[in-house]
Amino acid sequence: MKNLLSIQNLSTGYHLKKGRTRLLHQNISVEVNRGKLIAVLGPNGAGKSTLLKTLLGFIPALKGEISYGEKKLSEITVKTMASMVSVVLTDRIDDTYLTAGEIIMAARYPYISLTGVFDDSDIKIIEKAVEMTGVMAFLNRKFQTLSDGEKQRVMITRALAQETPLIFMDEPTAYIDSPGRVELMHLLKTIPTQGKTILMTIHDVELALRFADELWLLGKEGLFVKGNPEELIANGSINKLFDTETVKFDRETRSFI
Amino acid sequence: MNQNQHKPSFAIPVTILLLVLLVLSMLNLWFGSVDLSWKELVGSILGHHATPQTNIIIWEYRMPQVFTAIAVGMGLSVSGLLLQTVFRNPLAGPSVLGISSGASFGVAIVVLAGSALGINVLQGAFMLNDMAVVTAAFAGALLVMAIILYVSGRIGNIVTVLIIGIMLGYAVSAVVGVLQFFSGTEELHAYVLWGLGSFSKNSLARSELVLLITLLTVAATWFFAIPLNAMLLGENYARSLGFNLKKYNTVILLLAGLLIALGTAFTGPIAFIGLAVPHLARARFNTSNHKILIPATLLTGANLALLCNLIARLPGMDVSLPINAVTSMIGAPIVIWIIVKRSKIKVS
Repeated sequence: MKNLLSIQNLSTGYHLKKGRTRLLHQNISVEVNRGKLIAVLGPNGAGKSTLLKTLLGFIPALKGEISYGEKKLSEITVKTMASMVSVVLTDRIDDTYLTAGEIIMAARYPYISLTGVFDDSDIKIIEKAVEMTGVMAFLNRKFQTLSDGEKQRVMITRALAQETPLIFMDEPTAYIDSPGRVELMHLLKTIPTQGKTILMTIHDVELALRFADELWLLGKEGLFVKGNPEELIANGSINKLFDTETVKFDRETRSFI
Repeated sequence: MNQNQHKPSFAIPVTILLLVLLVLSMLNLWFGSVDLSWKELVGSILGHHATPQTNIIIWEYRMPQVFTAIAVGMGLSVSGLLLQTVFRNPLAGPSVLGISSGASFGVAIVVLAGSALGINVLQGAFMLNDMAVVTAAFAGALLVMAIILYVSGRIGNIVTVLIIGIMLGYAVSAVVGVLQFFSGTEELHAYVLWGLGSFSKNSLARSELVLLITLLTVAATWFFAIPLNAMLLGENYARSLGFNLKKYNTVILLLAGLLIALGTAFTGPIAFIGLAVPHLARARFNTSNHKILIPATLLTGANLALLCNLIARLPGMDVSLPINAVTSMIGAPIVIWIIVKRSKIKVS
């Protein structure tokens, strides 16, 4: 079977005025398979979110090719894309009246007609996702009144209910306290067991090393390295990317000292 | 997760709004400078037991006002709702896109330009060709709308579209200002009167037509409830749910623009209803789900317009107040209340 996502010679960055470009990374070639938790790791400003947005087609790739299954990204309509990739973004939802339940129900919009009637199978899928993330208690509450951790759970439930093989998450652990982060990562770790693949950006290195199946390291000078946590620790990639004058990554304790 | 649980909770307020609509319509038909008895009123509506004089008052004067008020109240309110969602801005309303300014511009051209250029096109202000004014207003509104749609079709960024709409409104208003400066007193008076708005400019046939077209357009908006709901999650989430926003923004702006053009051309610019009613509906129905909000908004809008029309010609008064003054007097407190309430939510 074809890979879920394959990236060939991809260059990410931005088109500036007068035909100039700001290049962030080049020659990224990588394949994404089913059932993986992949963490995109790198310092702030390395271009993690840009990579995610490029893969989603929100911003154009400067070079190279992105394919989902058999299809090239450029040939995939916005509508088809909705059944392949769901997202958890850092965008804030500021509507005062939306309930958590309504936001989760939106996951089924790609599959219902314009009359907006949900059928039993939609409801079943939503119930399953709700059970998995444990958000039942606040379905009828206004989204605005939830804590950041609860909000993030709701958005993850929504992504699950969209029933896509791939879920992209931009900094899902941001704004959440440390115990909350670990709890959230435990939840995310259960998702790949259903055959789905999560591609998430994260800047908490220790958390990524502990939970991810695969890491993509994005460095400042266009560096791109991938591998599993063991490899990347052993070959010194983590040290190379994150060590500073004062703080070093310790391979034994897998933490910064 | 049973969504049907919610249904009875909004079926009741919708029924209440419908009943209020009926009562307000009857009061609008009943009150006026000529006193009528209930018997005569009901007789005339049902088509029997009424003097010819009563029939004329009801069918030629008051019924067209009721139809126009309902149509314009619905149309402007729903357009306000659409614009607030598309622009994700609670202060968006029919005036922001410059479409109502476009209508004013059209009317100004017809009413004022002749006099400004020293040509006496019109036979005095009060013999204004009524149809010419409506046509000009509609053309002006559609012209601005065409520019907005062209821009939104080319530029993905909706904030840019909003800013261009506001700027267009200013530019068009400036031209109107220049025309006003150079025009004669009578024409100016006629233009100012038009700008104060009135629900009583239309014949029965025309008010029925306006109501029919408004109803069809409003009904069409209901089929965009789902993409509108998706837009509440923000541009990126809406896109990830499969909605091509460039396309939906353009179609929804087209519908909103049509409603504004209809509302403004046949009554003059009506302030505040379009901005305030969607907030009233959201607060009353405690939701931003467009499947509920669209019917809630259109009924609330029709009711508010009828109420304003009633207040504008309270019994005992021979003249009726300009409708724009009444809508602003009612609308401004509503907007203030919304802002205060929103800031309270943010603090707590």
